[in-house]
Formats: sequence, C-alpha cells, structure tokens
Amino acid sequence: MMDEFHLFNHRVDSSTGKFKFSVKDSICTEDMPTTAGSQILFNYIPRFDATVVERLKKAGGVCIGKTAMDAFGFGSFSVNVGLDKEVPKNPLDKERVCGGSSGGAAGAVALLDENHIALGQSTGGSIACPAAFCGVIGLTPTYGRVSRYGLLSYANSLDKIGPIAKTVKKCAEVLEIISGADGKDATCVEKEKGFSEDIGRDISGLKIGVIAEAFGEGVDPEIAEAVRHAAGMLGEVEEVSLPITMKYGVSTYYLIALTEASTNLAKYCGLRYGVEGEPSGVSFNDYFSSVRSENFNKETKRRIILGTFARMVGYRDAYYIKAMKVRQLIIDEYKKLFEKYDVLISPSMPVIAPKFDEVEKMTPMQQYMMDILTVGPNLAGLPHISIPCGKKDGMPIGMLLIGDHWNEKRIIQVADYYEKK
Amino acid sequence: MVTLVGLETHIQLNTDTKAFCGCPTSEGKPNTQVCEICLGHPGSKPMFNKKVLDYALKLCIALGCKIENEVAFSRKTYFYPDMSKNYQITQFEIPLGRNGSVKLKSGKVVEIERIHIEEDPAALIHDGAIDESDSVLIDYNRSGVPLVEIVTTPCMNSPAEAREFLNELVRIVKYLKIFDERTGVVKSDLNVNIEGHPRVEIKNVSSFKDAERAMNYELVRQKIALKKPGEKKVHTRAWTGRKTTMLRLKENEADYGYIIEPDLPVFSVSNDKIESIRKDVPELAHVRSVRYVEEHKIDTIDAEVLSMELELAELFERVAAEIDPKIAAKWLRHELMRVLNYNKKSLKEVELDEQHVMEILRLVEGKDISERTGQKLMEKLIDAPFSPKEYVIREGLMLVGDDSEIRFVCEDVVKSNEKAVEDYKSGSEKSFNFLVGQVMRITQGKADPAVVNKIMKEVLG
Repeated sequence: MMDEFHLFNHRVDSSTGKFKFSVKDSICTEDMPTTAGSQILFNYIPRFDATVVERLKKAGGVCIGKTAMDAFGFGSFSVNVGLDKEVPKNPLDKERVCGGSSGGAAGAVALLDENHIALGQSTGGSIACPAAFCGVIGLTPTYGRVSRYGLLSYANSLDKIGPIAKTVKKCAEVLEIISGADGKDATCVEKEKGFSEDIGRDISGLKIGVIAEAFGEGVDPEIAEAVRHAAGMLGEVEEVSLPITMKYGVSTYYLIALTEASTNLAKYCGLRYGVEGEPSGVSFNDYFSSVRSENFNKETKRRIILGTFARMVGYRDAYYIKAMKVRQLIIDEYKKLFEKYDVLISPSMPVIAPKFDEVEKMTPMQQYMMDILTVGPNLAGLPHISIPCGKKDGMPIGMLLIGDHWNEKRIIQVADYYEKK
Repeated sequence: MVTLVGLETHIQLNTDTKAFCGCPTSEGKPNTQVCEICLGHPGSKPMFNKKVLDYALKLCIALGCKIENEVAFSRKTYFYPDMSKNYQITQFEIPLGRNGSVKLKSGKVVEIERIHIEEDPAALIHDGAIDESDSVLIDYNRSGVPLVEIVTTPCMNSPAEAREFLNELVRIVKYLKIFDERTGVVKSDLNVNIEGHPRVEIKNVSSFKDAERAMNYELVRQKIALKKPGEKKVHTRAWTGRKTTMLRLKENEADYGYIIEPDLPVFSVSNDKIESIRKDVPELAHVRSVRYVEEHKIDTIDAEVLSMELELAELFERVAAEIDPKIAAKWLRHELMRVLNYNKKSLKEVELDEQHVMEILRLVEGKDISERTGQKLMEKLIDAPFSPKEYVIREGLMLVGDDSEIRFVCEDVVKSNEKAVEDYKSGSEKSFNFLVGQVMRITQGKADPAVVNKIMKEVLG
C-alpha cells in the first residue's frame, strides 16, 4: 500500500468505533486541527465539532483524520494547498492529481478499505471532481439539506457538505445520518429523507435527459463517448439544452463564490486564532496585512482580490449584483427541465485526472474552466452524484447525475442501478 | 445663514440575548458573555434573534415608517480590531423601515429616512486616552448586541433642535420598552453644515449635551473656514470633548463592499405580524399629554411631565380613574416626583403599590389628613410598601374634623393664656399665632390649621 499521509493534513490511528470516517480539513473537529488546508490556521483546534461530525460520532463513527484540500477550497486539483502542507497524489497514479478541492477525501476513499467514509464539501464541484478523478462515488446534496455549522465557509450561498464513498448505498446512508436541521445553520431545513428507499426499484418509467452542451467543445471526446454510452444503459434518454447555464455558469459561479469568499476570509488576520505575527510597533492595518501576506497562498490572494473587486462601489452592480441575477436565470433554466425530467446527465469533468506537470502549465482561467460541468448544479443548489463509468488511459471517468431539489432519492436510485449493472 | 443638521443614531436594543447568538446582553466580566458565533470563530454561523425584529418593528411602527415585508441582511466588510469577523451584519439594500417622522414640541417634524437593524462590534478599552495608550483591550461581551440605526434627513436647523430630537427619540424608545437607559448606549454621527460649506460628519458622539456642543463648535469653525480661501471638502471629524478634529476626507472613506449576508435567509414580515406588534405599541407621550389636558382639564405642563415616562403615565391613568384627576395630577407630578428625585430613583425601580398611592390621595381628597401628612406618607411609601390608611388610623394622624371639639380646645386655650389674649387684643399678631399653636399642640397637629384659625377668631370675639 502506498503511503497515505499526503492525503491527510492530520491523521490518527484508531481501531475503535462502528465505522471509520475522515473529514475534509475545512470542517471543524474539536479534537483535531482544522485548517481548511491553509497555513494561516496552523494548528488551529476548534472548540466544537461541526454538526456533521457530531452526528457521525453519535452514530458510532470514529474520525481517523483530516483530509488534504486546496486551501479554503480554492482549486480543482488540490495543488493550491497551504504553504506548510503536502499536495495529495492520486492513489491510482502518483503522477496525477486527486482533483479538488476535496482531493484528500476522494483519495482516501480510493485508497483505504471499502467501508471508509469521507466527508467532502462542494462549492462549485469540489465533491464531484475528485470523486471522478479518483474513481469513487461523490454525493453533493441539495443546498440546505445538510447543516453547514462548523464548515469554514468558502461561499456560504453555495457551500454543501456531502459524502464520498465506494458505493452509492454508503453515500445514501451517510446522508441519512448527517442531513436535517440542527438549529445552528439558518439556511438548513428539515425535509423528507429516506434516501435509500427507492434503491432496487424499476427505473424504466423515469425520464432522463442528457445535457447536449456538456458533450461538445472542451470535453474530451473519449469521456463524452463513455458517458453517452453509460447513459444509454439507463434506458431511453433525450437530449436537453441548458444554454444560459453552459454559457454563463463559470463566470457567474466565480463572481459569486469569490465575492462571498473575500468577506469570509476577512476574519483571518492573526488576532484571535491561527498564526500570530509580531504586533508591537505597527498599526493594526499593517499587522493584519503582514499576517495575511505571509500566510495566504497565491491562489487565496488571487481569489480575495478578485472577489473584493467585484463588490466595490462602481463594479458591484456590473459584477456581483448581475451575477446574482444570472444565477436566478440558471435556477429557472434547470427548474424548467425538471418539470419534465427526473434526472439530467453530463460528464462530471471534461478531462481525466491531469498530471501535475500538466496542471502547472494551465493558466488560472484554464483551471477555472475545469468546473464548467459542475458549477451549474452547484449554482442552482441541485443534488448531484458522480459515479465512475469507464476508463481512459487507466484513469476513471465520472458520470454526473443531477436531480431536482430535495430529490436525492431519485439520483441515488439511478446511480445504484448503474453501479450494479 | 441656514444650518442643516442630519443625524445617524445607533440605539442598543434591550433584548435578553444578542442579535445572532444566544449570549446574554447583560453586564458581565469582560469576555465572559461570548461564544464561537459572536467571537467569529471559523465555522460558526449566525442565527437571527427574532426578538430583535419585534423590537425594531415597534420603533418603525411608532415612528410611522413604511415597513418592508422582507428582512434581508448584508455584510459590511472592513478591517478593525473590534470586529470579530471583520465584517458587520447590517441591513443595506432594504432597511426595515423607511419614511417615518418624529414630531418635536415646537411642532417641527423631523423626517426619518430609514431605520435598520445591525450588530454592535466589541468594545475597545484603552489604557487612558486613545492617543496616549500603548495597548488596547478588547471586550467581546458587546460583540453582537443588537442595535437599531435611525437615519434622519438633513432637516433640522440647529444643534438645539437636534438635541431636542435626540431627547424625544430616547423618550420614545424608553416608552416602547426597547431601550434601557441604565445599560444601553445611544451614539450618533452628526452631519452638519452651514449654507455654502460642504457637509461635515462628526463621528460617534454619545452624550446629547456633547452632541450639541460639538455641532455648535463645528458651525463656528465652518463660518470661520468660509472666510478663508481654499476649497472646502466633504469630510469626517471627531469630537474630542472640546473641539472637532479632522479624521479623513469622504473620498478616502472605506468602501464597505456590501454583499447580501449569505448565511441568513430572507425573513418575511407578514402584515399580520405588523398588526400584532402594533397592538403592543403604546400611545406616545406627546399624544397622551394632549389627551390628558382635554380629558382631565389638567395643566399642560402637568400633563407633559406625567406623560414623559410610560410607567408614570400609566399610574396616573389608573389613579385618575378613581380619584379627582386634578388631585391625582398634582400629587403624582409634584409629590411623587419630588420624593423620587430626592431618592434618585425612577418609578421603575421602586416597589410602589398603586393602591397605597390611592389611599393617600383619598385621605387628602377627603381632608382626613393634612397635606403635610400626605407628603410624609409619600416619602415613607418609597422606602417600603405599607397601607397608609391603616398607618394613619394606627398612629392617630387623622385630622380632627369636628368643629365643636376644636372650639372646646380653643376656649380652653383662651382661658389658660390670659396674657397672650390681652396682647392679642392690643394688636399682637404673634400672640394670635401662639394661641393657634397651642391648639395645634394639644390636637397633635390633627386639626386643620385653617379651621383652627377661623374658630379661634370667633372665640376671641
């Protein structure tokens, strides 16, 4: 077995507990450091467990560690780790990335025993992407299904905690445990559960649409072909179109996500927790600046600057406010399709897990375009699940099944059907 | 020269717990009334305290604002050591209330542009004066305490008028029971300018006296500045207690980069909700005092004083329903207030049974006790509750009301004080007072002095 420690920012050995789980490092654990993969929160140990952690522990689980990630979730390859952290490598090919930002989580599931459960978090695709790259199952629930209490926010209106595991059924079981209102996250609500109820039921009556734009330009033709083939195994499928989502999704996503992120990260200033600088003799502004300059990585700084720009007077209406309006159009576009269809299908990622040297050559814009297939359901708050559906160059290909709000049950039913076939 | 004044006033709401977490708002040792939410710890999320909404709605209703049916919060982001998250949860796009007004005694109507809810930052405690202190302590007990911000248009025309507005505003929030002056703080940003000078904002003044002084200082400064050459710019100043000093130009102000607070949903405020809150909004002081004059024919000044505090006004109304309103007005306004002021207490703080107050007033009304006895009883009543009626009977303080009894005593006094009677007859007023005094002594002050005077004159012929 290859060394697993690059997949974790913190790892403990444990043989107790009914089951073992790992937690993405952006989710609070009261007995382990929680750094969101950043250096600025070096050795920060929260005073409380996130609701999801508390619930898994209560169900008999034991946490074996905190998984590696792009600092604050900023990335699609888990290479933007904190300055003091290791980059996780794909267990299927050490030359390749795990995907991001929940890279360590998906890598751990791929590497560890088949019962391992990882908690990931998706803002724009951070569960589906690494799940696809590592050949495991990643379930992103409806926004508001799972409490974000204890999640170090990236973009609060987009952040969702979800399970990554080796089987669809396991993901459904974990969601059953972690979901539901807790009175600590005002955006989390109580809705009907029973995610595994329809597993094994006939899917022939379901209407399935494949998103036409998700199989064209920018998507590896071999991946497109594999996903089309997999979709065909589910019965009769129809082509559907999401023109606004596919055209404006990435820019809308980045404007909203980075705008919110730039306010969320304001609190990290070396005053109350995390790393500290030398405060004497400097003004508070200079002190905050020096701590932030020294401890945020390049991508974090880039996103704070972009996000701050988009909300400043004179730009706010053109970027932030406009993006909020386009987001509504994207939601409407999906809702219209769900009047007719039960499940929508696209590839999870346009490529297989790239090699580290390939990632290095990418511009930030090329990296952001990696999210083109996942930002849509994330912006719309729709539940989606990535399942492996073939290989290219020995690396897994992920298929993305998207369901209507609160209808995780349906995508779980279909994903399980495909998994068993 | 026309003076324009507009105010942005922050008032702490006296809810039991903070705006976005369950921590108490009461006083405590520094940094003991805190949790991960008001400390802004990573992973914590705000939960909105709906009591804050109820309180703010009360104010909006009382000031006649147009009220939004949706409450949305925003983030105001700036870096400052008292900000636990380096952003403040406030309302930006859509304030809870708009277009209200406050009427001053002069008849002047102060226009309220907006009222919104926000959270207080932590308190910074300097060792001595800010500019001399080389350290600062942060007390997060205040972090997250709910505030309402009340913004007026620049419609006031003098510092005195602005001060009157502030007094009236505080009277209203006390009336609404959403503010406690013993623990709560009121702070204002003062926007002031004279004709021809750009607007100047004086930040963060808490006493109303200081607010008036700061504005008066600033107006004189602006007059002098106008006589000097050079461009005058919109800017922000600070009040040191003696003068205003330049802080920064408006164009150098922080851009707060407001965004919608994504951790909180939009809360709806139904019309039913507004109507149910409206039922809790009491008739305000200025309306009440006019009604008292009309209904009870009492003096305007008495009516104004009685209506100033809700507790006093409500006591007066209950007493006036049973006892001659003029006596009630006189005794509550003068005697009760005198005794309270002497003891430096407010009506809220004393355990006062209105039945006991009414007993005193009934005894006075029926001339069963002298006014002096009534005053004494009122003084005693502030210390501890007791039944004045029982006390008066037990202590034999009832006035001797029977004329024949007083006549008997007078005749007795006249018989045994021949010298004084002679002196009186030769014109000594002093001797008359002596004789009356003897009667009062024998009756132990229970006789009405006016009646004794009258009968003594008759006896002396």
